[in-house]
Amino acid sequence: MIPFTKHTLANGLDVIVHQDRHQPLVAVNLWYHVGSKNERLGRTGLAHLFEHLMFKGAQHQPRGYFEPLQEAGGSLNGSTSADRTNYWAVMPAGAAELALWMESDRMGWLLPALTEERFDTEREVVLNERRQSYENRPYGLAYFALSEAIYPSDHPYHWPTIGYPTDLRATTVDDARAFFSAYYHPANASLAIAGDIDIDVALRMAERLFGEIPAGPSVPRLAVTPAPAVARRLLLEDRVELPRLYLLWPSPPLFSADDAALDVAADIMANGRTSRLYRTLIHDRRRAAELGAAQGSRELGSLFQVVATAAPEVSLEELRQSIVDEVTRLATVGPSTQELDRSRVQAESAFVSRLQTLGGFGGKADQLNAYNVYTGSPAFFADDLQRYLRLTPADIQQAAVRWLDPDKATMLSVVPTGQPGLALADSIPATVTT
Amino acid sequence: MSDRFTPPDPGAPVAVRFPPVQRATLDSGLAVWTLPHTALPVVTMALVVPFGSRHDPADHPGLAGVVADMLDEGAGDRDAIGLAAAFASLGTELSVDVGPDVTTISLTVLSRFFEPAVDILFDVVARPRFEEADFLRVVEMRINRLRQLRSSASAIADRVLLRGVFGDHPYGHSTLGTTAALEALSIDDVRKGHARMVSPVGATCIVAGEVEAAVVHDVVARHAARWPMPNGTGKAVTPTMVQPQPPRVYLVHRPGSPQTEVRVGHQGPSRHVDAYHALVTLNAVLGGQFTSRINLNLRETRGLTYGAHTGFDFRVQGGAFSCDTAVQADATPLVVREILAECAAVGTTRPAVGDELALAKSSLTRGYVRHFETPAHLAHAAARLATFDLPENTFERYVPGVEAVTAADVTAAALRYVRPQEATVVLVGDGTAWRDQLTEFGRPVEEVEDR
Repeated sequence: MIPFTKHTLANGLDVIVHQDRHQPLVAVNLWYHVGSKNERLGRTGLAHLFEHLMFKGAQHQPRGYFEPLQEAGGSLNGSTSADRTNYWAVMPAGAAELALWMESDRMGWLLPALTEERFDTEREVVLNERRQSYENRPYGLAYFALSEAIYPSDHPYHWPTIGYPTDLRATTVDDARAFFSAYYHPANASLAIAGDIDIDVALRMAERLFGEIPAGPSVPRLAVTPAPAVARRLLLEDRVELPRLYLLWPSPPLFSADDAALDVAADIMANGRTSRLYRTLIHDRRRAAELGAAQGSRELGSLFQVVATAAPEVSLEELRQSIVDEVTRLATVGPSTQELDRSRVQAESAFVSRLQTLGGFGGKADQLNAYNVYTGSPAFFADDLQRYLRLTPADIQQAAVRWLDPDKATMLSVVPTGQPGLALADSIPATVTT
Repeated sequence: MSDRFTPPDPGAPVAVRFPPVQRATLDSGLAVWTLPHTALPVVTMALVVPFGSRHDPADHPGLAGVVADMLDEGAGDRDAIGLAAAFASLGTELSVDVGPDVTTISLTVLSRFFEPAVDILFDVVARPRFEEADFLRVVEMRINRLRQLRSSASAIADRVLLRGVFGDHPYGHSTLGTTAALEALSIDDVRKGHARMVSPVGATCIVAGEVEAAVVHDVVARHAARWPMPNGTGKAVTPTMVQPQPPRVYLVHRPGSPQTEVRVGHQGPSRHVDAYHALVTLNAVLGGQFTSRINLNLRETRGLTYGAHTGFDFRVQGGAFSCDTAVQADATPLVVREILAECAAVGTTRPAVGDELALAKSSLTRGYVRHFETPAHLAHAAARLATFDLPENTFERYVPGVEAVTAADVTAAALRYVRPQEATVVLVGDGTAWRDQLTEFGRPVEEVEDR
């Protein structure tokens, strides 16, 4: 449990305060409920590029965004996903107001400071981020190919959050201004303040610094048709040494029924040395070099995935068969009591561990905002843990039946350039838009 | 309204409260340190054992890494999977991190599982099974990992830089070693390596979190009894540091690369360097943080990279200074020129003075308190004390030490410890368009294979 006080300002900004005096630190965390899902084809990558622009300084910040906060001993960053954009700073306690002031200035007064020159430089930075994190990294384009294949082009998860380079090059500073006006305003944001600060003081600071910023246009919730599960065999050639197989299924959204069950199913199947596939594919037979699974939970729909890299001379067909066998077994007999007991104590331990840091990605302030934005209640922390503690073997077995049909998986083979024959039989080249 | 547009004062600096380390030493030589931290019922344990790739024999690069990896592949009454299941049933997993100087075996558990976790942990260090089947798997996984890294431009750059800076010294290879050495290794080598390298003498068991020192001492003493002091300790030896090679430009040509991975570096001082606080300050000016010179130049002004960083990699026996970045391919020679120029200017034509120096010092001193938030932070901070045998007041001395650093100290540190004319330059990328320009850097250009 993370105790909190929540107050919504007249302009619609949710303010959540959590007091924790163990360390002389305050975390400031701000979520905007906008991500690459709110973009359109032709302007993909705008939400993330915009996040970068937020660090270039606002109207009353002639020294830029980083310098005053670093000088005050703070640490700061931000990130963009398909669903949301978050910004955080962790400050020595006395500098909490400075961090809140900086956030309020860029929420209310960013555009006057947004010049064409800043925009153009930052676009180049983002293109370099794309090269470093995806294009020049082994297997780095796999998820781009998978999203394009699984989600139709009008689905907001069709394109990658980093964006298509052609779109990034076509985006103008006016697009960025329009994006700011549509999404960066109090009623589409959630502010969390956590740490060594009086609750009243924090609420008053938030009111004083953010209260005068006008509420913006309401942001309608996106309506999407869930991606259907379809059997596909795709192939991507890349500069890699060992072939890798991805098996994916569309799965239920974050916090909906079966989401937690599939999360645990992923662990039981392929995460860590106690998992079933580790035992068969690595420990007993040494057929895989790497292995993992995840329920990649998102707001509008998730993807369940199992990923295995072949040991040298091992065929992807053999890995596919082993994975399908394990999925089938989980859907037939479900997990053992021992597996589920382990999963419960791991959940308890993970949730306690999540209470350790005030700020940063995944800290308490970030979690309060995540729960507030996705469920409307920062108190959902406790419900979230219960989702895991309540699971029965039948829940997991039935979730596997409902969502993980081996005949309806999207399978992507990533193979060394020039060796398409190492892909699964009948695979067709995947599309990766650039 | 007028003050609405004036930034608030950052407030007075807050004091850093590093908890007192309660120390004891067992008969075996194992030191036991307890650091109280009571926010949550959580304990982090870190067992710091002084063996790492520095202790790899010349004919077995990678041995220490295999020994470390084999520790939790079955120990005591449990086989490899049984061991993992035992940790999982305590809601945790073991991390074994082998580095150049020490191996750190750590875990975080709920306080109520502290004793069972300690029990298993000492099986891992004292009673590893070292079975042939597990050995074959571990070696094969490490060979596969080495192979995978051949397609990672950043990993290639790191590897070539280490080799260029440290040459034949064991610091010149990563903890993975080499494929040839791994293929030649036997389980017997691992057993002998374990006997030679993994000893409670000089090791430190660090426990941070919600558990009392008396309990820690009692529990650790009981379970560590199965890890006695070895007879006639054959202490691990390491060769003396090699003389630096004359600097070179190494090019790993990767046709079609959209970026070039760039490393610029040379040998540096050990953690015991007198000018430690001046070096930390210098690094904050030059490349240690977002607002540092090299990042502002290459990213914020020119947009050529997602980020550029410098750092001193302090080790027990010396260390390294390096600048790391990944830049768009066509800007490669320009970026090398800029990095070398920034490294030269900070000790000569553009010393850090005034506001810039004040910003660097302030960010370090005011921000220091952020590094001690959780039991894991405390345990890993204490692990640095153990690794480098630093005085207990090291953390208390940090803020006054940095505050006392003058512009002259930074300039002197830059002249002595950042020497661009001696730096090895590593470029991993498509050299077609610019390889002919590399002679401008006044050092021999060598093309190396990416294997």
